[in-house]
Amino acid sequence: MPESSKMRKPDVKVVLLGDTNVGKTSLLHRYTERKFKDTISTVGGAFFLKQWGPYNVSIWDTAGREQFHGLGSMYCRGAAAVILTYDVTNWQSLAELEERFLSLTDTANHDCIYAVVGNKADLTDTKAYLSQETPDANQTESEEHRSDVLSACPTPPASPVSISGVTFPKQVTREDALAFYGRILRYKGSDERTSLPAEKMCFETSAKTGYNVDALFEALFDLVLPSMLRKRNENQQSATVDLEVCRKGGGKRGRSTCC
Amino acid sequence: MSVKAFELIPAVERDLLMGDKARINIECIECCGKHLYVGTNDCFIHHFLLDELTSAKGRLTYAAQKLLHKYMGLKKPVAELRAASALERLIVLCDGIVFLVDMVTLENVPSTSGGGARVRGVTTFCINENPVNGDPFCVEMGVLSLKRRTVQIYMVYEDRVQLVKEVSTPEQPCAVSLDGYFLCLALATQYMILNYNTEAAQDLFPYNSEERRPIVKRIAREEFLLAAPGGLGMFANAEGASQRAPVNWSESVIGAAVCFPYVVALDESFITIHSMLDQQLKQTLSFRDGRILQDFEGKVIVASTKAVYVMVPLPLERQIQDLLASHRVEEALVLTEGAQRSIPKEKFMVLYKRILQQAGFIQFGQLQFVEAKEHFRKGQLDVRELISLYPLLLPASSSFTRCHPPLHEFADLNHLAQGDQEKVLKCKRFLITYLTEVRSTEVVNGCREDVDTALLKLYAEQNHESLLDLLASDNACMLADCVPWLEKYQKYFALGLLYHCNGQDPAALQMWIRVADRELQDSTRPDLFEYIVDFLSSTADVDLVWKFATWALHKNPTTAVHIFTKRSVGKAQSDMNPEDVITYLERHREALLLYLEHLVHERRIQEEQFHTHLAVLYLERVFSLLSESPTNEEQLSRSREKLQGLLRESNLYRVQFLLGKMENCEQLLLERATLYGKLEDHDKALHILVHKLRDFQSAEAFCIWTSSCRDSAYKQQLFHLLLGMYLDKSATGKSQSAVCDDSGNLEMAAVDLLNRHGELFDPVRVLRTLPEGWSLQLLRPFLGRAIRASMHASRTSQIALGLAHSEHLQLLHDKLKETKKPIAVSTKKGCHLCHNTFSDPEVVCLPGGVPVHTHCAAQRMRDSPTKRQLPNSSNHT
Repeated sequence: MPESSKMRKPDVKVVLLGDTNVGKTSLLHRYTERKFKDTISTVGGAFFLKQWGPYNVSIWDTAGREQFHGLGSMYCRGAAAVILTYDVTNWQSLAELEERFLSLTDTANHDCIYAVVGNKADLTDTKAYLSQETPDANQTESEEHRSDVLSACPTPPASPVSISGVTFPKQVTREDALAFYGRILRYKGSDERTSLPAEKMCFETSAKTGYNVDALFEALFDLVLPSMLRKRNENQQSATVDLEVCRKGGGKRGRSTCC
Repeated sequence: MSVKAFELIPAVERDLLMGDKARINIECIECCGKHLYVGTNDCFIHHFLLDELTSAKGRLTYAAQKLLHKYMGLKKPVAELRAASALERLIVLCDGIVFLVDMVTLENVPSTSGGGARVRGVTTFCINENPVNGDPFCVEMGVLSLKRRTVQIYMVYEDRVQLVKEVSTPEQPCAVSLDGYFLCLALATQYMILNYNTEAAQDLFPYNSEERRPIVKRIAREEFLLAAPGGLGMFANAEGASQRAPVNWSESVIGAAVCFPYVVALDESFITIHSMLDQQLKQTLSFRDGRILQDFEGKVIVASTKAVYVMVPLPLERQIQDLLASHRVEEALVLTEGAQRSIPKEKFMVLYKRILQQAGFIQFGQLQFVEAKEHFRKGQLDVRELISLYPLLLPASSSFTRCHPPLHEFADLNHLAQGDQEKVLKCKRFLITYLTEVRSTEVVNGCREDVDTALLKLYAEQNHESLLDLLASDNACMLADCVPWLEKYQKYFALGLLYHCNGQDPAALQMWIRVADRELQDSTRPDLFEYIVDFLSSTADVDLVWKFATWALHKNPTTAVHIFTKRSVGKAQSDMNPEDVITYLERHREALLLYLEHLVHERRIQEEQFHTHLAVLYLERVFSLLSESPTNEEQLSRSREKLQGLLRESNLYRVQFLLGKMENCEQLLLERATLYGKLEDHDKALHILVHKLRDFQSAEAFCIWTSSCRDSAYKQQLFHLLLGMYLDKSATGKSQSAVCDDSGNLEMAAVDLLNRHGELFDPVRVLRTLPEGWSLQLLRPFLGRAIRASMHASRTSQIALGLAHSEHLQLLHDKLKETKKPIAVSTKKGCHLCHNTFSDPEVVCLPGGVPVHTHCAAQRMRDSPTKRQLPNSSNHT
């Protein structure tokens, strides 16, 4: 049997949601292919199967454009985790999450978990900027420019803004994200005390440098898989007889059709 | 982008349908086996027989034969046609009416009394290809009505149509598809899934059906393909979830179908073909006036307004090969893997492996070695395919021939690299790592010789450090093929190893010897000579040793002797007889000496002849050094030390023989003294030491080592002898002044001896022998020590006595405890003799354990000298 991931059925679904151009595809790309490359605006959606231990996790990359907005709730149907992505340099991208995308998650599993992810942290955060995971083969021009400035500078300046020489003010603080997470829980009617804490579920990442990207996905898988396994076990235990009955019934019908 | 996945083949040309009637258009088609039905806008149904023909060149063509055409009599276009082959009926939608016609005659089926064979007010209908109802002689049909917001489910029988279910929808539906209980509907503003059995509804996504024509196409069990906003082809299952990523169509798609693994879609001027596996657009066919695209039993048929075509999928292998030919490795592999379900397993594995191997070679050609290796591994590539790319690597005797058809386009590495030496080098490095990894796996079963030989050649050529590791480990290198190669790259040491691997040790040694003698140049091992010696010392082949040891001994006897000394002892076969070795070494004095030292000192062989031989060799060396002039004092003393050491330590050599050898040599007095010591002739020995050598230190040392394993009396005797020697004035026969000076020295030696080893002497005997005139002060340390020793001895013996005494008592006590019962004495009990009570614990026990007063017992002894038998009374105990 070929070991292609494409042949296997996913065990669990994770969906990336967020406004256009916040970097959903880049995040997924960074995680799955370990590099950052130019992407074009996603059309419709795409998905990737990730082998996590013995399980297959399907990660759906959705289109952020308004045009495809209607498809979101279909992608979210049955999702075990949703990654709500915004751009730290763009306040509107966080606002959009609340206005447009949160309602799409109504179709997700009732115990679905939510992560709030601020991408492009390399533009505002020295730590994220310097966290060059792997030397990037296809550096863009602007990045080359940035590194030039950096190497000319004997000591790393305190603010990444001055590294870049381009102003990218951080428009969304971590506190904003934490507050938004709180509102998600309220929207879902979950109890803040029993839900996963906001500190654990809010991430700032950089798909460009790889900062925090693995941490994000791996944390989610670790949170999602146990619950999925539990559920699967419960189903198996309670539904063994039912499944058998169904299968037998189906078989009989099939035979009777033949004759 | 372009893959040729499908070919468009004409099936029914315009001539056959409408001739030159310009306003007649095709409205709908149905294909059922070889039967093709075409509905036109002038209310005709045409019936064709479609024959598939394959030309001599393997090209597929279709020949359509018109069987019949019939006017339906409604003056309106025939909107839809569906065959119910089991019923031999065609279901026709025309002018809002659904009715049945005979499949063969196209005659209208009259309604019977049971119910109508017509349904009126219909906009569109669909057939359930996966009905829940098991009746094979009826067909389930979903019908959308003109005005009502409902979906009706009908059962179609041979001669009637029966309404079985009606479900209402929130909006006016305009397209429908049916699978099991699930209706997939396009409503005015959205798509939805509706279960007509439970009436459970599931919204899918919004879609403006008035703006753009919706598409609802069942593609598999409980899975539908839908036209989505933005020109997407979305997949949705009955649960309302999407399990495949969407494909990106144009905005104006008219029809779509799935022909795994492709999604085929028709718009105004093109047919687009996307892969469901990676969502990529694979092929675009220009197609004007397209009207219908539908799949019938796996056959995709497209129709323009005037003609009908069949889309024939190209053989999968051809598609894959096309992809590979354009170096689209990933896509080729995805396509292959996607085809797994549709090909028998055995056949698939053969195909898949071959594709993987081809993919590997493509990536290899692009120097993407990591990917190439992975594909070679997964494709279980015959490693020789890869090796054969490199000229001359495979052994001449290899039976390998490249697989046909070839897996790649390269003649050889030079062809691949086009003269780029950098590239060649990279490829060679890759082959080295690849072969190194696979050579120990089952991949190389059956071609180990070829792989190891190739690897050896590469190592040699690249001057790779692992060359020696390869030869040192278990390998299958072909000797005949490798010899010239190693010679070419001057890897003579390695060549020797190779000979060795092939059991040709003499050849190996000869090769190495030529290198060691600088006849051949190979700097692999600067310590080659030591290596050869080591090799000879460990070989089991004794003849080999005899043959080559001479060379080594001539070259460097000190190292060469290791051949014999480092041999592991104990293995019966390879064991060499020491006598043989000694005979062999006779001409190599230096080596012989070392060998004997090894036998005597390290192996501690207790053989008289070896010890004597060694001593004689030492002695000869000393003699020869002595005869030199000027004498090398340092060497001489070292040699003498060795000789003396042996003479002292060993008890096996023939003393008299040696003594005879050095009888006349006045320079070796110490040695002689030692020999006398060995003969227990201590007088002579000490005489030499004290009077001839005047070496009091040696004399003292002599006494100590001679007596080292003897008892203290012997020791004492020896020291007294030495003391006597010191004090004996008569022994010196020198001049008067010398005597005086001499005796002074001797006396000082005596004093020193006494003061140093006082405890060894018997002080009384010493004091008797000492001259009267010696001061007490002079002997103070000796006397002090003697007194202390004597005190110590006395006290020690007292302690010993006390301990022995207590031990005796203890034993006595134990004995009593074991043999006698306790004798109770208390103030309340009376003496058996005087009947008074006891007042103190001292009692006398009469035989039988009867306690009596001491004085009573004494009294009784006095009173009756004759022994009187006491009555044995137990009641007093």
